[in-house]
Parts: sequence; structure tokens; C-alpha cells
Amino acid sequence: MLCLRLKSGGHKVKMAFQNPFNFRCLLLVCMWLCTTSALSEELIQAKVVEPYIEMHSGPAGGYPVIHVAAKGEWITVLKRRTSWFKIITADEIQGWVKQDDLHLTESSQGQPVKLFDGSFASFSERDIEFGMLGGSFEGIPSLTIFADWVATDNISAEVSVTQALGDLSESQYFLVKAQHTTFPEWRLSPYISLGVGQIRTQPKANLVQSGDEARTSDLYAVGLGVRYYLAKNFLVKLEYNNLQALTSRDENEEIEEWKLGFAVYF
Amino acid sequence: MEVRFRSLFLVVLALLNSSSLMAQEPVKAGTLIEPKVTRQDINEANIDSENFELGLLVGVISIEDFSSSPLFGLRAAYHINEDFFIEATYGQAEAGETSFEVLSGGAPFLTEEERDYSFYNVSFGYNLNGETFFTDNLVFNSATYFTLGAGSTDFGGDERFTVSLGAGYRLLLTDYMALHFTLRDHLFNSELIGEEKTTHNIEYGFSATFFF
Repeated sequence: MLCLRLKSGGHKVKMAFQNPFNFRCLLLVCMWLCTTSALSEELIQAKVVEPYIEMHSGPAGGYPVIHVAAKGEWITVLKRRTSWFKIITADEIQGWVKQDDLHLTESSQGQPVKLFDGSFASFSERDIEFGMLGGSFEGIPSLTIFADWVATDNISAEVSVTQALGDLSESQYFLVKAQHTTFPEWRLSPYISLGVGQIRTQPKANLVQSGDEARTSDLYAVGLGVRYYLAKNFLVKLEYNNLQALTSRDENEEIEEWKLGFAVYF
Repeated sequence: MEVRFRSLFLVVLALLNSSSLMAQEPVKAGTLIEPKVTRQDINEANIDSENFELGLLVGVISIEDFSSSPLFGLRAAYHINEDFFIEATYGQAEAGETSFEVLSGGAPFLTEEERDYSFYNVSFGYNLNGETFFTDNLVFNSATYFTLGAGSTDFGGDERFTVSLGAGYRLLLTDYMALHFTLRDHLFNSELIGEEKTTHNIEYGFSATFFF
């Protein structure tokens, strides 16, 4: 808003500068804008309520402990890397604490600090999953990258891109899928999926004969899979898909595909 | 400028604190004290989370039978936890000539377009976290890591399924900036110079990345 005014009315700005009171007002508004944004983004403070928490020199358990923040001390959280948090104490000593230790603090309102930790309990709160699957596409190696939006505990939407590279041809396809997980509360849980997309198949360059060029067909998919919550933030997925490519020939092409891979979630 | 805003911000904060202190009344037994200043509870979204890494890659790739060439690319990673990460790499190079082409001076095997070599891969990585001591006082966090991945290589007019094995060294100059030295082998089957065989294409890479 300030910038717009500056651009649109050079005359007005001039006036504001000539009148020291106006100028001060302008400056104050500007500073207020800066400080409010700083207030909302910075200073995440918590108080240590257990005897002490250990601060490491780096964001992993192997890094040495360089300092401890004692009970009653206020710490400020600066940033997060995986499940490690960089903090600064009131004495301005910086270090990394693990998430389990950060949960031994409480906020200014006396609430225990509890953040999303990727545990199975917080797994159902995820919104997005993404990952990679490798497998066999009618016997040739394939690679899939996918992203899921978890709409409800049971239903999610998926977009995936697959490339299958064989000796005779290469195929690329994308699918938009709806998935249903019947028992989302189980660690090992089956799911079914239905999808539509398009497939592009191209014969290898050294086999190209006249008339045998790249073709694109619509694609329908029915799938069955299981996902397993293996570790924090980490899932393993096994999938079987039955694909129907609607070709311009007399018969549709049926493709079977097996895939195994992993996913991470937020 | 930032320093000025910070100091101003601290002054404002100090004022807020002192005014809230002054506003406190003596506590009487049995009276309920309503807090006058409501502070924001810890909001997870305000914590700057730096799990993604993005950067540029330069290096040299030795393309089997087609000599070595400079390589340029992009590297992105997502850190799952302190031990594991997922990495995606894209690179481009232009293949040279085979020794046969150089010695015989005959017709080239590939056209100029077919000599364009590009690849992508998605890998799974494991960190061996550590520290690097350049001198007694100059210490950086670092990690040696191993990667295993799959992807595709576009070379000689075709795309080929490619497996990649690698090892790297990550030096964290700051919390958010890192230098990488990597050595990676890209394996794919090729029949470009006759019989089909598995080719090993070794890449030496140097990359600078930022965490965000």
C-alpha cells in the first residue's frame, strides 16, 4: 500500500517529506509493519521444565553435546532440520536439540510443547505424501514418481508419472487416481485405487520402421496395494495395477504392473 | 538496516514487557488473575523448517567408449531424518568421439543430436554424519554419504533405464549452505557400438546447495 502511494503520487511524498510530522507518521507505519511481521515469524520461545535438555553441535545424535539448557531456562527455537531443532539460550549459546527433548519444554502459556513428529500417532494428521516406486511394467523396468493428497482418513487423490524403459520400446504415462484405504488405523493397511490417464509408447530408435511411430492412448487403471508405516515419516508401498490402454486398434491393450517403493509425508 | 529493525523490535518488546509488569496488581488470596497479555502459543508453522536442499552441479562424466565431457546439472534432496535422504539429480553433457572415430577418421557413429547425453535419477541416500577439522578452531559439520538410485539416461537417440551407485561428501559451510563432492557410477545397457553390454559411466561432481 505504501509503495503504491509512493509510485502514484510523487507529489504527495514530497509533501510528506516537507512536513516532518507526516514523515514521522510514514516512518512509524513502516516500522509497525516491519515489527508486526517480525512478531508473527520470529521468537518461538519455550521454557525447560525437566532438569535439563542436551544441546548438540549438529542436527544428529552423533554430534557431541556442547551445552545443556537447565530447568527454568528460556530457549528460542531458530529452525528445524528433520527432527532436530536449532535453539539459542538466553546466554546466546546455540545448539541443536532433538525433538523428544524439545517436548520437555513448555510454551509461554504453560502448555507442553508438542510438535508434529512423524510418529504413527501423528501419521493420520498428514496432508501430503510423495514418493517413488520401482517395478516391472509387463516385464520391463519402470520408475514412478507420485504425490498424494490425503483428503480424509480413508480417501486420497494421487497424481503419478511413470516411465518404463525396455529393449524394444519406451512408455511414459501419467495417472490421476482416487484411493481408498479401508483400515487407515492399521500399520499395514491395504488400499484400492481407480485412475485415468494417458500413455505414450515409442519404439526404440534402432527398431523404427516406417509407420511404427510414437502413439498416445487413453489409459484406465485399477489397482490394489498395501502400505506399511516403517519408521518416522517413512512408508513402504507395494502396488499391483491393471492398466487398460484404449488403442486405435481392434483390441485394447492390457498391461500388468508391479511396483515397490517408499513414500514420505508431511 | 536489519540490525536497526531488530534493535527497534527489541525496544518495543522491552516496552511491552515492562508495561505488562507495571499493569500487574498485588495478588490477593482467592482472586482469579486474568492474564491481560495473550501471547501466541507455539505455532509450528512459524518454525523455519529446512529439510529440502537445492543446488547446481558441475563435473566431468566419463561416457563409456565416448570419452569424457564436462557435465552440468541440478540437484535436489529431501532429508527424511538425520540418517536418510532422497535425492534427485538431473545432468547434461555432450559425448565426445570413440577412439575408433578418432583413429580412423571415418564416418561418425552418432549425429550431433544423438551425442547429447542427459540423465535423471532418484536416489536413496544414507549419511555418515561427522565433523571436519580444518584446523583446531575451524570446524565444519559434514557427512559422507552413499546413494543408490534409479532413473533414465537419454543418449544415442534412446532412453535407457539406469541404475546409479554413488558416494559423496557434504561439507556444511553454514546451517543452510553446503558443498558436495560426489562420485557416481551410472549403469545402463547399451548396444551403440555393437553387442549389447552394461556400460559404466563415472561422474565426478561438485555441487553447491542451499537448504530451505
